[in-house]
Amino acid sequence: MPSAAAPEAPLALVETSRGTRRLAAVDRAAAALGLFPGQKAADALAYVPNLVTAEAEPEADAQALLALVDWCVRFSPAVAPDPPDGLFLDVTGLAHLWGGEAALVADFRRRLARNGLPVVCGVADTPGAAWALARHGDGASLCPPSRQGELLDHLPPSALRISAAACAQLERLGLRRIAEVRRLPRSQLARRFGLELITRLDQAMGEAPEALTFRRPPNPWFDRLALAEPISTPEDLARVCGDIVERLCARLSAEGQGARRFELAYHRVDGRPQTVEVGLAVGAREAARITRLFLPRLDQVDPGFGVEQVTLAAFEVETLSARQAALAREPVGQSSVEIAPLVDRLANRLGTERVWTSQAVESHVPERAVARRAPFSPETPARWDPARPRPIRLFRRPEPIEATAPVPDDPPVQFRWRGRLHRVRLAEGPERIAEEWWKVPIEAASTTHVRDYYRVEDQDGGRFWIFRSGLYAAGAPARWWLHGLFP
Amino acid sequence: MSGSAVTERALDAVRAKIAALETGGRGETPSLAFGDPRIDRCFPGGRGLPLHRWHEVGGEGMEAETAAAPAAFVALLARPLLKMGPAVWIARRDDLHPPGLAGLGFPAGGLVEVWVRDEAQALAAAEDALGASGVGAVVVEADACDLTAGRRLQLACEKGQATGFLIIRRPFGGGAKGTAGGSAAATRWSIASAPSAPAAGRPGLGAPRWRATLERCRGGRPGTWLFESPGAYSDTEIQDDAHPLRLVAELGDRQLAPAQPARPASPAIPFPVRGDGAVRRRA
Repeated sequence: MPSAAAPEAPLALVETSRGTRRLAAVDRAAAALGLFPGQKAADALAYVPNLVTAEAEPEADAQALLALVDWCVRFSPAVAPDPPDGLFLDVTGLAHLWGGEAALVADFRRRLARNGLPVVCGVADTPGAAWALARHGDGASLCPPSRQGELLDHLPPSALRISAAACAQLERLGLRRIAEVRRLPRSQLARRFGLELITRLDQAMGEAPEALTFRRPPNPWFDRLALAEPISTPEDLARVCGDIVERLCARLSAEGQGARRFELAYHRVDGRPQTVEVGLAVGAREAARITRLFLPRLDQVDPGFGVEQVTLAAFEVETLSARQAALAREPVGQSSVEIAPLVDRLANRLGTERVWTSQAVESHVPERAVARRAPFSPETPARWDPARPRPIRLFRRPEPIEATAPVPDDPPVQFRWRGRLHRVRLAEGPERIAEEWWKVPIEAASTTHVRDYYRVEDQDGGRFWIFRSGLYAAGAPARWWLHGLFP
Repeated sequence: MSGSAVTERALDAVRAKIAALETGGRGETPSLAFGDPRIDRCFPGGRGLPLHRWHEVGGEGMEAETAAAPAAFVALLARPLLKMGPAVWIARRDDLHPPGLAGLGFPAGGLVEVWVRDEAQALAAAEDALGASGVGAVVVEADACDLTAGRRLQLACEKGQATGFLIIRRPFGGGAKGTAGGSAAATRWSIASAPSAPAAGRPGLGAPRWRATLERCRGGRPGTWLFESPGAYSDTEIQDDAHPLRLVAELGDRQLAPAQPARPASPAIPFPVRGDGAVRRRA
């Protein structure tokens, strides 16, 4: 992208390709002096000794392009990047919001120019024609509906997005206008230049379909609110949040849908969107409730010099049948969704990873027997085995204890934990838990991770879950650990 | 004759007035009977544990830090309340092991667990959960609860019709925080684990037992009991209708004189109880 530098200092970006330093991009002043991308840097510096050079950063350019694509969402939800320096905007059915395509393009140009980005744009029925008009057009960037043929005819064949080799060959044959290419028989064109030329030609003319890879898949659950005056006070931010949520929720409600995630974006005058997101445990469309989830998070929004547009998108939209709330309480397990608003409040306040429901996992290893799942997500049929007692408090790391066990394969008669001596009155076990050898390579499986668990009760009635690690080996002292507490 | 009837009526009126004052003019709240008159009569109206209130449960000795026995006791108290809605468990330490709850007969699969960062968040989340509709029981583990926070919890209970349980749990190695300003809880319990009594000839541990002391009860009186959870950690089918806590014995309160002389004399069982207690519930 050409950048606006001081007119007296021509600027060029330099890259190293195949061992040679070449110009990657030149600004207007440099181009006026006869420099061009692809020229050797040494030659360029010889022609223009005061040329200012900088290293090209293709990754940073790609990132900047993606940022620009994200910003363009304010115009249309369907934006596709066209690396290295272009983008497609699907404005089908949107122009009337600006009062016509010309006004839309003017607004687009003005906003980008304000941010120091000069752009050329073309609007046409097909992406191919728009591309050609933007890159090779002569200022007439608007193509009237289904008249792309006339406008494209006098453009060079390179406007067809074809490879440089095909382009050069067409040039050698003296085909300098698209009109001349179109006059040739198609079968010969395809044989000589490959299918690419035909496909690109058809796509530009609207005779073949073209699929664009949009940065975000188009989302029908999207709403925008353009503001006449930029706003910045917290009260105003809250009010427009309520307004836009109500609009989108009315649509959701009319179609019997509910969404599990909402993304609210405040578009600032300086072009940086500020997004806030809320998640819900089950699909919802109650505007008041969703607004209440957004309100505490609006203090993260920095309105800067003002917010001129608000967009709201709903994700994970699912069919939600109308429910009659609070008439009859159903038994547990069927209507626990009644507490969904509470779960949403807690999850949005504390973080979604801090609110969960436990789920049984079929594993003998106690640490792995529990998985966390989001509340109200579908349950798996796994159950904890009632024949294997498990403690009510399980330490994340087993704590070492000093145990006295006179008989090798017996529970200890006493042990010391956290400085207190516990005499074992009753004991139960062992329950041998080995590592899950079927989950590791068979050579790696060993008996060193075998644990013999005992449930013991001390003289005061305290109940503990202790284990000895490893198999009994003569001479080696047995190591004992406390892993959990029974009630 | 008529004079005594008038006195009686006047006394009744005064009693009703006192009861109304005690409940703050809110009328009668529902309660959950233990199914044994030896416990139920200690609660207001002799009807068992008051619901739509919050209860404070602490541990004795080591249990003040680990809170394993109080957690189990609370889970069993709360189990019958799950008919009214799911339970929410709020804690700062994430060492609660749901398979252990499942072993006690508590359906841990529907429990919503909330892991908070600090004490203030725990009490705020508890208040939010108690005030929400459709919640059966809320368990919160916290260091302490002052009078203001307790009052807020109580108001939330009345709004949401949920029952709260506050497990007082001291940080490991830390000192206990005193609740100097009193407590707004409906009851205050202190739980200690008690030696189990396996059936004769059966190896291993018996059903878990706890010594539960009702230290304070608004509109009731204190008491100490030995409870057992008969179905815990066994394959036996747990009956849904019976209260999950079975009274093994009523333990003599060594500090307090009997509050009512009219109480039928029951032999005080010295602690600890070995074997089956002399006083058993007649089925």
